[in-house]
Amino acid sequence: MNNKILETKNITKSFGTLKALDNVSFNLFEGKIHGLLGENGAGKSSLMNVLSGLYQPEKGSIYIKKQKYKISNPDHASRLGIGMVHQEFRLIESFSIKDNLTLSRSNIHKDDFMTAFKKYSEIFALNLSENETVSNLSVGEKQKVEIMKIIFNNSNIMLLDEPTAVLTPQETIQLKNSLETLATEDTKTIVLITHKLKEIREFTEIVSVMKNGKMVSQDLLTQKVSDNELINLMMGNVKKSQINKDNTIGDVKLDVINVSFKDPVNNIKKLSNVNLQIKSGEILGLAGVSGNGQVELANIISGIERTFEGKIIINDNDISNKGVKSRKKLNLSYIPENRLGVGLAPGVSVIDNSIVRDYFQTKLGPHLSKNRSAKYLENLINQFSIKAPNPKAEISTLSGGNMQKLLMGRELVGNPDVIIAAQPTRGLDVNAVEGIHNLLIDQRNRGSAIFLISEDLDELFKLCHRLLVIYEGKVIKSFTTTDSNISSVGLAMAGINE
Amino acid sequence: MNKYTLSKRQAVNELSTFYSFIAGFLIALIIGSIILLAQDKNPIDTFSLMFRLSIGSVNSLSSSLNKATPLILAGLGIAIINTVKLWNIGAEGQIFMGAIGVNFLYINLSLSNSTIFIILLLLSAFLGGAFCILIPALVKVLFGVNEIITTLLTNYIVIGLTIYLVNGPWKDPDSLNFPAAAYVGKEVYLPNIFGKLSYGFLICILFTALAHYLKNKSVFGYEMRIAGGSEMTAVYAGINAKQKAFLAMLIGGGFAGLAGGVELLSQTHRVSTGISQGFGYTAIIIAAITGMRPIGIFLVGTLFGALSIGGSVIQTIGVSTYIADIIQASTLFGALIIQFFFNYKLLKVDDD
Repeated sequence: MNNKILETKNITKSFGTLKALDNVSFNLFEGKIHGLLGENGAGKSSLMNVLSGLYQPEKGSIYIKKQKYKISNPDHASRLGIGMVHQEFRLIESFSIKDNLTLSRSNIHKDDFMTAFKKYSEIFALNLSENETVSNLSVGEKQKVEIMKIIFNNSNIMLLDEPTAVLTPQETIQLKNSLETLATEDTKTIVLITHKLKEIREFTEIVSVMKNGKMVSQDLLTQKVSDNELINLMMGNVKKSQINKDNTIGDVKLDVINVSFKDPVNNIKKLSNVNLQIKSGEILGLAGVSGNGQVELANIISGIERTFEGKIIINDNDISNKGVKSRKKLNLSYIPENRLGVGLAPGVSVIDNSIVRDYFQTKLGPHLSKNRSAKYLENLINQFSIKAPNPKAEISTLSGGNMQKLLMGRELVGNPDVIIAAQPTRGLDVNAVEGIHNLLIDQRNRGSAIFLISEDLDELFKLCHRLLVIYEGKVIKSFTTTDSNISSVGLAMAGINE
Repeated sequence: MNKYTLSKRQAVNELSTFYSFIAGFLIALIIGSIILLAQDKNPIDTFSLMFRLSIGSVNSLSSSLNKATPLILAGLGIAIINTVKLWNIGAEGQIFMGAIGVNFLYINLSLSNSTIFIILLLLSAFLGGAFCILIPALVKVLFGVNEIITTLLTNYIVIGLTIYLVNGPWKDPDSLNFPAAAYVGKEVYLPNIFGKLSYGFLICILFTALAHYLKNKSVFGYEMRIAGGSEMTAVYAGINAKQKAFLAMLIGGGFAGLAGGVELLSQTHRVSTGISQGFGYTAIIIAAITGMRPIGIFLVGTLFGALSIGGSVIQTIGVSTYIADIIQASTLFGALIIQFFFNYKLLKVDDD
C-alpha cells in the first residue's frame, strides 16, 4: 500500500442546498482493486463523476501521481488515464465492437488492434468477432465491451459503477476473475462501486465507506474488517422510533401468496415465492437495496405487471387477473418509486396529473368537466398544502417536494384501504420527509394497510411494525422493528443471512 | 470568458402561442415586403389588393372560407394525432384517399335521397383517410416504427394510386385525355349556404367543435394526453397507451380524409391529381403555429385560406402567387423563433 496513484483532498460538491460531497478525501493505490461502499445517495457516484470529469467540485483538489490536476471534462479525464463504466452503457448499438472500441482512437493500426483485442477477449472470456454488431450482444457481453473500451482509451484507473447489478451470478464470477487479471498483470487500478458486502469481500483488497456525502472510513483492508463493522459504518446510527405503534390492528387487507416473476425480456428470475400479509392499521416495511425485485413486486400488486405466478388478494377479493382500474376501485393506491415518469406524466399539466387516479370514476367523468377537475385539484392543494400556483403549468415546474405531495395527495385523498408506497421520501428535504411520514401515519391510524418499500432504514424503523428484507427477489428475513437491531437488518440487506 | 446557455422558463405565458403567431405574421409580412420591393412592386398596394380580393366582398370572403375548409380539417387531423405526441405528415395522402373513398362509394352505390347519400359519401371519405393511416398506425404501435417517415411515405403511395386510377380504371372518356375521373352527379354536390359559401364550411365548423371537445374536454382526450406525456404513467393509470395512439391516428387520418371528401363534393366534383394543392402540408404549418389547438387552427386556417385566394388573384398585377406561400412559411418560422424565446431564456454563465 505504498504506491498511491490518485489522491483527492477535501472535495466538496453541492447541488442547490444539498451537499452531495462534503470534504471528501479518497486514495487509490496502483494495481489494487478498491471497493467504494455506501447506501444509495451516499455520494459514491458523485465522487466518481468528479474523478471522471463530469462534475466540477467547488472545493478540493485531485492529485494524480503527486501532481495536482483540475479535471475539466471527461475527455481530459480520459487523457489522464481515468475511465468510467456507467450503470447505463454508453455504447453505440448499431456499431460493431471494433468501432465502439476505437471510437476515440480511429488511428490505431489494424494489427495493434487485433493483438490487443485478442488479449483482452481472452481476459474477459469474450468469444465474439470484432465485427459483431453491439445490439446483438447480451447485457454481460456489452459490459465486457464497455470495460474494454476504457482499456483501449489507455485508462489505468478504471471506475466501475455497480457493474454486477446487471450480471448473472456466473457472469459476476467471470468479471471478478477478469478484474483480478487486469489488476495483477496490467497493473490497472480498479474502483468497484457497490452496496453489496459480498462483492466487497470477493472482489476487493481495500475498501472505503461513504455516508451522507462524507467519507466515513478510508483505506480499510478488506480482510481485516468485519461485515458488522462495515454495516455500521455504512448505516451509521439509526435512531429508534418515537412513534406510537400501539394503534389498533384489524383484518387482513392485502394478501400476497407465492408470487414469482420472470422478466419476459431476458428471462431472469426477479421474484421467487414471495408471501406477505398486511392488516388494517399496519405498516409493513420492505427493506432492500434497490434492484432486488421491489419495483417488480409493487408493479405486480398494483396491477401494472400482469404476467406472474401466484395470487394477490385485496379485501378477500382475488384480483390476480384484474387490471389497474379494478384494483383502484377496490381502493388500492400506489405511490411509485419513479415520481416523474411513472407517477406523474412529464409534459402534461398539473391539473391533468392531479386526476390520474380518479379520472374514470363518476365523481369526475365520464365527460371530463374542467370545473370538477379544478375543484378536485383545489381540494388536494388545500388538504395537502401543495404549492402549485398555476394548474395549467407543466408538472415539472413544481419542486420535487410539491410533486411528491401532489402525487401522495392524489393517491391518499380517497382514504385507500391498501397503500403501496415505494421510496416515498427519496431525494426530499427533512421537512418534506416529515410531512410525508405524517400523511402515512394518518392513513395508518385511519385503518389503511400500508406496504412501505424503502432503502432508508431510519424511515423503516420509524414507521413500520414489521420489516421484511428482500434480496435477489427472495424475502430472506423478517423482523419486528421494536425488538430487532439495525445491523442484523443491514446484514440481511447486504445478502448475509445467518 | 462569458458563455451563454439556454434555460427553460418555469412558467410560460398562456397566450404565448397567440403572441408568437402575431409576431411571426408581422415578420412574414416584412419578409414578403422585402421580396416585393426587390421586384419593384409596392408592398402596401399589393397587400391591400390581396386583402380586398380575399375578404373585401361576400363573394371573395366565401371563396376564402371554401379554400380554408380543407386546410382546417386536415390541420385538425394533425392536431388530434399530436395529442399523443405523434406527428402526422401524411395529411396530403389522407386527403387524396378521402376523395378516392368518395368516388369509390359513389360509383358503387346509388341512392335517391341525396342528403343521406352525401352523408354516406362523407363517411366514406373519413374512412378513406383512416384507412390511409392504418398501416403507419399499426407498425407504430406494434413495432415502434417512426410515424413521421411512414405517414410521409404513404403520401407518395396514395398519389401514385390516384394517378393510376385517373389514368386507368376511373379515367373519364369525356375528359379529352385530361387525367381525371368522371364528375360526380349534381345531386351529390355539397350545396351552398348562400352566395358561393359551401356547406363544407359548416361541416368544418362542426368538426372544429368536435375536435376541440375530443382533445380538451373528453375522457378520451385526457387519456391521449397522459399517454402522450408518458407511456409509463398511462400504464400506471390503467390507460392502454398503444390503443389510444392507434385510435388517435385513425381519427386524425379520418379528419384529413374528410377534407378530401368535402373538397371533392364542394369544389372539384371529381377525382384528379388536383384534389389537393399541398393542403396537407400547409395544414402542418397551421397546426404547428397554433400549438395544435383546434380553435386556433380554425382561425389561422381561415387566414391562410384568404392568403391563398389573395395570392392567386394578385397574378393579375404581375406578382407571383408564391408570395402567399412565402408569407405562410415565414409565419411559421417567425412564430417558432418567437415561441422559442417564450419557452427559454438566455442566461449568461461565468466560466472560470
